[in-house]
Amino acid sequence: MKLRNLTLVKLILTGLLLTGLIVPAFAASEAEIAKAEQAMSAKDYTTAITVLEAALQSDPDNIRAGSDYRQAIMRKSMAAHPKEGAPADFDRCVAFFEKLVAANPKASVAYLNYGFCSVDKIPAAGSITQVLLANAALGQFSKSIELKPSWIALYTRGNSYLYWPVIFGKAGLGVADLERAYGMQKSEPTRAYHQRLYISLGDGYWKTDNIDKARAIWKEGLSKFPDSKQIKARLDRKDDDLKSYIDDQLDPGKRVDTDLHEIWEAK
Amino acid sequence: MKFSTFGSRFALAAVAAPLAIWGWAEATATIKFTEIAAKAGIQTTHHTRIFPGKHADVLRMFTSGGSSAAAGDYDGDGLDDLFVTDSDNGKPNHLFHNNGNMTFTEVTDKAGVAGGNDPKSIVADALWLDYDNDGKEDLLIGRFGTPILYHNEGAGKFKDVSAGSGFTRFGNTIASVAFDYDNDGLVDVMLGNYFKPQNLIELPDPHVLPNDLDNAINGGGVTLWHNDGKGKFSDVTNKAGFGKLTGWTLDLGHGDFDNDGDQDMYIACDYGTDQIFFNNGNGTFTDTTEKSIGFDTRKGMNAEVTDYDNDGFLDVYVTNITDEYMKECNMLWHNNHDGTFTDISKETNTCATLWGWAAKFGDFDNDGWPDLYVVNGLRSAGKENYIPVLLNNLLLKPGMDFSDVRNWPDIGGMTWSGYQKKKMFRNLAGQTFKEISGEAGTDNEMDGRGLSLADFDHDGKLDIFQVNADQKALFYKGVTTGGGNWAQFKLTGTKSNRNAIGARITVKAAGLTQMREVDGGNGYAGQSSKTVHLGIGAATKFDSVEIRWPSGLVEKINGAALGKINKITEGKGLQTK
Repeated sequence: MKLRNLTLVKLILTGLLLTGLIVPAFAASEAEIAKAEQAMSAKDYTTAITVLEAALQSDPDNIRAGSDYRQAIMRKSMAAHPKEGAPADFDRCVAFFEKLVAANPKASVAYLNYGFCSVDKIPAAGSITQVLLANAALGQFSKSIELKPSWIALYTRGNSYLYWPVIFGKAGLGVADLERAYGMQKSEPTRAYHQRLYISLGDGYWKTDNIDKARAIWKEGLSKFPDSKQIKARLDRKDDDLKSYIDDQLDPGKRVDTDLHEIWEAK
Repeated sequence: MKFSTFGSRFALAAVAAPLAIWGWAEATATIKFTEIAAKAGIQTTHHTRIFPGKHADVLRMFTSGGSSAAAGDYDGDGLDDLFVTDSDNGKPNHLFHNNGNMTFTEVTDKAGVAGGNDPKSIVADALWLDYDNDGKEDLLIGRFGTPILYHNEGAGKFKDVSAGSGFTRFGNTIASVAFDYDNDGLVDVMLGNYFKPQNLIELPDPHVLPNDLDNAINGGGVTLWHNDGKGKFSDVTNKAGFGKLTGWTLDLGHGDFDNDGDQDMYIACDYGTDQIFFNNGNGTFTDTTEKSIGFDTRKGMNAEVTDYDNDGFLDVYVTNITDEYMKECNMLWHNNHDGTFTDISKETNTCATLWGWAAKFGDFDNDGWPDLYVVNGLRSAGKENYIPVLLNNLLLKPGMDFSDVRNWPDIGGMTWSGYQKKKMFRNLAGQTFKEISGEAGTDNEMDGRGLSLADFDHDGKLDIFQVNADQKALFYKGVTTGGGNWAQFKLTGTKSNRNAIGARITVKAAGLTQMREVDGGNGYAGQSSKTVHLGIGAATKFDSVEIRWPSGLVEKINGAALGKINKITEGKGLQTK
C-alpha cells in the first residue's frame, strides 16, 4: 500500500494493464474523466467529485475514475482542513463506494478503491479509529481478492498487513499474500513494478523474524533492480539501524500515497 | 484576552544570550538522583479500588489513575510536607511531616486526614490550598464522589468542613487546581472530572465508559468553584463558560498564557480533544481551542505549564500514548505569542514517552533551563498482553458499544503497556531535549501516575516524589553534581491570594531572563512546591528580580540572594527574618 514512488506506481500499473492483471473498463466516458480532471486542476473539487461519481456508477471498475475520485475527495479535504484533512471529509468516499459495491458486487477494482478510501482517511483519524479503518480496508481488499486474486490486490493487502504492529500478529498473513503475488510475478517477464514486491516481501520476512530470508529476497530483488535505492537501503543496514529504517517506512501514522493518476499520463 | 506584541523581541533575546550558560552546564553538570523512599519513611503503597461484580477488573483498570501526591508546608515550618492518596475502600491517605533531614514522620491520624475512601467514594487527587488566607495550608481531596475540604486548624490538626463548603456536587474528579481566576485575592478551585457524574460503585447504568475512543463526548468535563472568602465555594461553571464541556478530563494546567495578568486554562482530555480557554478578565473565559491548538484525538493525560525556552511566554506539555501499537506523540505546545500554540514535541525530542502520565518541569542542574521528567506505564502484570484481546474482542467487533462496561473483555492478570522505563529529559538551552533517564538513575519501570517536585531538604537540588498505581512510591533525592547557582523564592500575597498562586517572577542573571509562575497544582496527580526554584548557571548575582502579583502590583526586589530561600511579601519586598 506504500505507493509513494509515483514513477514506480506508473510502471507497476502500466505493467499490470499490459499483462492483463487489471482489465480496465473504459465504459466511463473519457470525456467525463477529462472534465473531472480539468475541474481538479482548477481546484473545483466539488464538480470533479460529482462527475466522477456519475462515471463510476456507470463503470464501477474503472480504476482511473476511482483513483481520481479519491484524489478529489482528499484534495478537497486538505483545502478545507490543512495538514491531513478532517475525518468527516472522507465519509463521502466511504459511503459512495459502500453503495457502489452493494450495487455491483462483482466489481473487484471498486472493492480495491473502497479499501483505499479507508486508507486515505487514516492520517486524519484518531489512533483508535485508525485501527478500525485499517481493519475495514483489509476487509475490502479481501473481497477484491475473493473476486479476482490479482497481483495488485494481493500486493495491496499483503503490504497492508505489514503496517500493523507486530503485537497483532498480522505480518505472517502479509507474507502469505506477498508470496502468492511473488509466485505470480515469477511466471512473468521481469517488470519494473516487481521491485515493490521484493521490498515488501523482505520487510514481511523481517517482521516475522526471518532475517536471512529477508536479506535473500532483497538480494534477489537487487540483482534484478540494481539501481533500487530502497532495496540497497535495507541491505546496507543491520540490527537497530535496519529496524529503525523499516519502522519508519511502515509507520501507520504517515500518509500513504494512493494516487494512481500518473499511469494514464504515461499511456 | 490581550495578546502581547513584544514577544518576538523577547524571544530573540532569550535565545541569543544564554547559549554560553548552557555550554557550561552541559560540560560540568551531571543530573543524578538517588532513590530513598524507604529510608525517608515515605514508601507508601497505593491500592486501586477493587470493585464488586462481574466487570470489576475493567472498572478497576479505568480508575487506576488515582494515585497522587501533593507537596505543601502544612505546619509553616518552612519545609514542604507530603500528602499521599490511596484509593481502595477503607484505605487511609497519608500525611507525612518533613523532618528536614530527608526523613518524614507520618502524622495522618493526629491530623485527621486519613479518610475519604468509603464504600461509595474513591480518593483520586489531593491539593494544598490556603482558601481562607489565614497563612495555613488547607487540604482538598478530590474523589470519585464529592470532594472533602479540610480546614487547617493549626497545631497539626485539620477539620472536615466539607458540609458547609459548597462542594456538594457529585463528580468523578481526577484533577484539581487552585487558582484565582478573578483576581479577587482568594483562590478558587477547578475540578477535572473523568467519568460522567454517576457513581461507579453502584453502577446504575453500565454505559459509563467512553462512547468513542478518539472523540468521546460522554465524560465529566470540569467544574469551576468560586471562593466567597467566607469558607464557601459556589459553582460558577456555566457562568464562567465551561458548562458545555463533556470531555474525559484528566488534568488541568493554569497560567497566564497571553501575558495579560489573568490566569488562562488548559484542559487535557483522554479520548479526544484537549481544550484551551483564555480568561476574559471579567469572570468569564473564551474557548479558543480551534484557533489556538486545533482539535486533537489523542489521550491527553497531563497539562504542565512553564516557559521552557525562556522566551517570556508560558508553554504547555501534554502526555499522550506513544507505544508499540499507538503512535500519538506527546504535545509540547510552544506559545506563539499570539494566542496560538505549535506542537514541537517531535522537533524537541519529547514526543515519545510510551503510555504517559504525569510530567513535570524542573531545573535539575540549575542551568536556567527547565528539564523534564515524565512517568508512564499503565499496568505491569503477567506475560500475556491485553492489547490483542481488546482488539479482537471489542475494537474490531462490529457494532460494539464501547461505553458499555459489559462489552470490555476482562483484563485478569494481563499486562497493558506495563514495565515502561521513565523518561527524563535535559533541556538544551530551550532548543531541544536530551533523554538522560538511565544516567540520571530515574529509569524505573513502575506504573507511574503522579509527581511532586520540591527541594525537600533545602540543598538547592530539586527532589522528586513519584507515586505509582498499585505499587510503592519512589522518592528521588537530587544529587546532581556540578550544577549551577540557584535561588528560591517563597512569595506571600497580601492583597493577592496568600499563597501568591498566579504570581509571576522574572529574574535576569548573566544575560538570561527567566519567568516562572506560582502554580496551584498543575500536572497530573501531583502538586509541586509553591516555592519557586530557579537555577542561574554560572551567574553569581541577579541583575534584576521582579514580581508581578495577581493583584496587578509589579514589584522590583532588591537584595535577592543566591543559595537560599528568598521570602517576599507583596508590597513589602524581601523579608529578612
